[in-house]
Amino acid sequence: MKDTILSVTDLCVDFHLRGKTLHALRGVSLDVAEGESLAIVGESGSGKSVLNKNFIGLLDANGEITGGSIRYYGMGDKLRSTPEGGMDEEGRAYVELTRIPSRNKDWLRIRGSEICMIPQDPMTSLNPLKRIGAQISEALLLHHGMKGQMAYDETIRILEDVQIDHPQERYRQYPHELSGGQRQRIVIAIAIACQPKILICDEPTTALDVTVQAQVLSLLHQLKDKYRLTILFITHDLGVVANIADRVAVMYAGDIVEVGTSEEIFFDPRHPYTWALLSSLPQLGERGEELFTIRGTPPSLFTEITGDAFAMRNPQALMIDHRERPPYFSISPTHRARTWLLDPRAPKMERPGVLDRIKELGGKTDESKS
Amino acid sequence: MAKYLAKRLLRSVLTLMVILSIVFVLVRQMPIDGYFPNFEKLSEEQIQNGLHQMGMDRPLIAQLLSFFGDLLHGNLGISRIYRTNVPVTEILGPKIPVSVRLGVFSLLLSMIVGLPMGTMMARHKNGLFDHIGTGFIVLIEAVPAAVYYLFIQIYGTDLLHVSMLYDASRPETMILPVVSMALGNIAYYAMWLRRYMVDESNKDYVMLARIKGCGENRIMFRHIFRNAFVPMAQYLPTSFLNTVIGSIYIESLYSIPGMGGLLVDVIKRQDNAMIQAIVLLYASVGVIGLLLGDLLMVFLDPRISFSKKGGDR
Repeated sequence: MKDTILSVTDLCVDFHLRGKTLHALRGVSLDVAEGESLAIVGESGSGKSVLNKNFIGLLDANGEITGGSIRYYGMGDKLRSTPEGGMDEEGRAYVELTRIPSRNKDWLRIRGSEICMIPQDPMTSLNPLKRIGAQISEALLLHHGMKGQMAYDETIRILEDVQIDHPQERYRQYPHELSGGQRQRIVIAIAIACQPKILICDEPTTALDVTVQAQVLSLLHQLKDKYRLTILFITHDLGVVANIADRVAVMYAGDIVEVGTSEEIFFDPRHPYTWALLSSLPQLGERGEELFTIRGTPPSLFTEITGDAFAMRNPQALMIDHRERPPYFSISPTHRARTWLLDPRAPKMERPGVLDRIKELGGKTDESKS
Repeated sequence: MAKYLAKRLLRSVLTLMVILSIVFVLVRQMPIDGYFPNFEKLSEEQIQNGLHQMGMDRPLIAQLLSFFGDLLHGNLGISRIYRTNVPVTEILGPKIPVSVRLGVFSLLLSMIVGLPMGTMMARHKNGLFDHIGTGFIVLIEAVPAAVYYLFIQIYGTDLLHVSMLYDASRPETMILPVVSMALGNIAYYAMWLRRYMVDESNKDYVMLARIKGCGENRIMFRHIFRNAFVPMAQYLPTSFLNTVIGSIYIESLYSIPGMGGLLVDVIKRQDNAMIQAIVLLYASVGVIGLLLGDLLMVFLDPRISFSKKGGDR
């Protein structure tokens, strides 16, 4: 396995809303390896976006990190002398991201050039009054000090990289003259111009129609190789995950309940929530039959959750699921899940038979990958 | 672009003609007593003679047509009452520059102070500067202008050692009237610019600018300011108009020989030629102001286009 570039340990984030406290992240731990593409899946409100906003220091003003750490290893010694710099047991220099105050200037050395993000909605993410070219070359100026002809040439090159037609014309156009898919490419171009090591894609395809979705995904795949990016995909679309991710982390109620390679998650899922999530894939439905749905709603994060957060919605929950929070059990060196079912004392529980059909689908997705 | 401008100008001229015609007809509906200072003592013949002299015994349409005809030759008519038998252009000629100069200076001052003030308030939202600024705005908006105008005149003249009254040969006597007139606009610009900038700062493109590594100052000045300024642009020319017209009180406080209050004065005294001329002037400034406002918006915002209706916003 390659070197870890980002390491999250027991991260807890609270939000303060009208006198109440919402526990958005409840002890998230996750290691991201350099050069991999990791998908973070989960339903709305499971904490995917909150988790990622911590990496670029853009947590909303009413949010607060109450515990845990985020170590970023990509900068080497560059921020060594700052209060947030440090050295781990193996002698690798890191930056402790949770220790940088939100308005601190050090974030300007991380945002964009180290960790960049493609926001959800390309339609509103570009400045409507600035030309496309100016918006891309601003990143070149900020991070590489490029100006004039040099910046222009580089911008055109990047526009070609994101496969925009007629780059010289696009350079002079305004965002409202472009379509949604084209704007998404421009947003990606801006991110590429920053030359980050980690690129976070926040539901990169939700705002786009299906044909454009596939194009954007394959574009991201190519750019990942060309620019040696580490990509984090935030998504609730398992189809996206199957097509592009090396590893998958499944989030539920502010926690990662299962993490493993794509094969492990799709073909050998262990957590009841992962089972339920995969069972609700529309591709698994029978014609004429109702699609599988998960009953109930996610638990309120305003209250303290005891036991397994999914127990309330799980018809086969064990007694202990309601009492005590399960620890992580390792299935393989790359695969772990937070469920009591993996405890040696637990009764043997078969996963839903319908999940075996994923293998048949799997063949298809592998074809579409190549 | 040229076609749009031509169309727009033609419409503006039409608007002016309609306004003038209405005013022209209206003032002629007033009782004729007002045209003669000593109406009671005059015989019917003298009255008819007088009306004939003023050209008012002809049909309304004929009068209107000859009015527009004269207008084309730059002849605005002759004042009969405000100043007897003096051409209107001669009366207004020296007054217009005085009022316009006052208006232009105060507008410049309010932009130079108001816009940076609004920007700084938005930049340090809920900070000390924002609170001080808000206090200033509330004070200006809440206290009747007449009160602080007087304060400025009384204490300002002491402070600057200038005379209480305007003196054309001494430009420093312009300072206090200009400042007084600017205060309201400063508060107005700062308030709205702050508000529009705070609105903008929650938009997605600001988020992307932040993600790509822009500092807060760069975001404020390079990204948000222009976006927030677009909705303000259309108010600027209109507020210039208001500044020129609305200086009645200031002009009388400092006895500035401008146009403030002139319109009310000539309406009371039923000087038709003067009324028409001043209405023409104000309406022109208004129409040109609106035109300039629209042009400024198009210039600032590429999404607003001349040719297409609506456009993609």
